[in-house]
Parts: sequence; C-alpha cells; structure tokens
Amino acid sequence: MIKKLKENKFLVFVVLIYIGLFAINGEKAALSVKNSGYYIKEMLTIMPVVFLLTALIDTWIPQETIMDYLGDESGLKGSFISIFLGSISAGPIYAAFPVCKTLIKKGASISNIVVILSSWAVIKIPMLANEAKFLSPRFMAVRWVLTTIGIIIMGYIVSKMVKKEDIPMGGEKVEDGKVLIKEEYCIGCGVCVKLAPEYFKIENNKAIVMDNDDYIGKKANVIKAEEKCPTKAIEIGRVRGSKVDICKEIIEEG
Amino acid sequence: MDIFTKGLWVVTMLWFIVSMIKDKDRTLNSMKRSKKMMGNMLGQIIGILFLIGLLLTFIPPDAIKEYLGSSNTFLATIISAIMGSITLIPAFVAFPLVGSIVDMGASIVPAVAFLTTLTMVGFVTFNLERQEFGKKFAIARNGLSFIFAILIALAMGVIL
Repeated sequence: MIKKLKENKFLVFVVLIYIGLFAINGEKAALSVKNSGYYIKEMLTIMPVVFLLTALIDTWIPQETIMDYLGDESGLKGSFISIFLGSISAGPIYAAFPVCKTLIKKGASISNIVVILSSWAVIKIPMLANEAKFLSPRFMAVRWVLTTIGIIIMGYIVSKMVKKEDIPMGGEKVEDGKVLIKEEYCIGCGVCVKLAPEYFKIENNKAIVMDNDDYIGKKANVIKAEEKCPTKAIEIGRVRGSKVDICKEIIEEG
Repeated sequence: MDIFTKGLWVVTMLWFIVSMIKDKDRTLNSMKRSKKMMGNMLGQIIGILFLIGLLLTFIPPDAIKEYLGSSNTFLATIISAIMGSITLIPAFVAFPLVGSIVDMGASIVPAVAFLTTLTMVGFVTFNLERQEFGKKFAIARNGLSFIFAILIALAMGVIL
C-alpha cells in the first residue's frame, strides 16, 4: 500500500489538492472535475490503441529497421520520417511517450525521438485545418514551416546535450561487476566478441557471456564492448557513483 | 473522435488481428511488457488529467485573452509563452480565442508564442516525461521548446 502510494506520488498530490479544494470551495472543485472530463474522454479513446501499438511495434518491427530509419545514422531522412510519423499520429503528447519509449529501446536516436514527440504535439492535420480557418491559411503555413525547421534543429541540439545513458530504460538491476546481455536487443553483430573474445561468444545468433564471474564488468575490454555495442544490449552492473573508480582502473590498466 | 484517431484504431486493430494469427505467443508476450510500461505511466496520466481540470478552473481561457492582448508586446510575449506552457486548453478552444484577439488588432507575436508553447511545452506532463526519459532530456526538450516558441513568434512577427 505504502509502496503504491510512493510510486504514485504525483497522483496522490493532485488528489490531496482536490480534497483540500472540496473543503474550501466545493463549487470550484466540482468545476475542475467537470473540466477534466473532456481530457479523460480523450485519454480513453487514445490510450488503448497506443497500448496495442507499442506491443505490435515491439513484436514485429525489427531492431535493424528502426535503426536504419530512425537511428543515429539516419540523418535528415530520419528527421523527415520522424516529422511524418509525429504528424499522422493522434492524441495528446503523453500518448507519444510509450511509443517513443519503445522506439528508443529499439535503437531510435535521441534527436529523432525529440522530433517525433514535438511534431506529435504540435503538428496535427485536423489542428492545422482549424488554424487556417480561425487565423488564416498563410498564418498556418508560415507557422508550420517555422515549427518544422525549429523542431529539427531542437532534436539536433538535444542529442548533443543528452546521451542514451541518461535515459532510464527500466528492467532489472544488474549486480555490481556482473554483465547482462539484453537478448531482445542483441542483434548478434559480434562486435563484443571481437573486442573481448575471452568473455563473449555468439550462440544462436545472440551474444552470451561465457564466464560471468564477479567483476568481469570492470575489465577494460568488457567496458569497451558495452560502449561499442550498437544496440546497447550489454549492461554492466555498477554501484551508483562508481563510474569514476572504473575509469581510474581503465587508465591504470592502460 | 477525429478521423486520425479512428484511422489509428482501424490500422492498429487490423495489425493486431494479423499479429495474433501469425504468432499468438509473441504478441501476448509483448503485450505483457507493454502493460507493465503503461501501468507505470497510468497513475501519472490520471493525475495530469485532473491537474488540467484544476488549471482550467483557476486560469480560465478568458484570463489568458487579457494577457495576450496586452499593449506591451515584449512582456505579453513572455507571459503568453509561460501561460501556454502551463495550461493545456483544447485546440478547438485555443484557435478561435487567438483568432478573435488577432482580429481585434493585437500583435501576433504573443499569439504565436502562446499557440506554440501550448502544445510543445508541457508543464503538467513534465513529471511523466522526466520519469520516462530522464531529467536531462525533459529539461532540455521543454527548455528548448520554450526558447524556440519565442523565436518562431518573433520570426512570424517579421514575416507576416
């Protein structure tokens, strides 16, 4: 129970505001609930489909495809695909979060994720029609062009500021010094075997760790393999804040 | 439901049916993982929706109108951008509202800043974004979106 409350701190916080407001000003609280109604309806029409969509992307779209079209090397082509994907989508920005999270786990680049999220939020075809009607077609067109350019530049800047390691990927915690290969991300490319042949080998097209004794995760070539793994499938267990120690060791080992 | 949401439903349902026929186990397995991920977000999303209701009560669209039309364009732009970041009013309310004040002769710069931050910067969704994509990502994306919204607004003022 307490754990559940802790996990949903934000919801608890909002509920408390409502309780307080009901006590002070019931009318305003009731109005707030009524105002939320539209958004709740919107969520119910979009979230089930987003749920299915993330599962389907996870099942059927291979990692290589995502990396080709949306990965770090996808360049301007990747940006345009991202703009397109964001624009044809439906629903508010939070509906984009699960989809983007799935894409990022499958190898989409940070800049393209920013582009998808932003265009998902801003560029909506029904909304553009509305804008042309209430402002003017010219206003809509100029804003659309400027926003599209802005979003692509923003994606580029964010990718320079934020690295993949900064993004929480969830999943199990790996013990300090142990090495885990996330099978669902491994594409069996063999880079890790080339870098650290004494610890990795390929079996059934997936890399496996041969000898997961304590602290092999602190060997320099294993750390190198983790860095070079194109899909970030290798995870080394680290005690928080111990990265500095590992770096020191690498320097010492040469 | 607009046509794009309907389209998404149709395409996804068809894909889902094909997926279940082709490989039921894998599909169900992915759904389990998906469920776990969405479960983590659901509490936050419900909180966000009720927070929007609160904000709409205390910052009603009419109050926003006053700020957007203010005679000091520079100050109005900054305030409009902040207002747009905090509130989340539906597009079918936002466009007529902005349209009406532009028709009244107000500068378009604050109007554009408001429209752009309204959708691109998410104050209420910030916590969820931080949870899912990390603090650095959420700060960088929202911060830059705010700056770009103002730049886009200024550029629009020059062009139009």
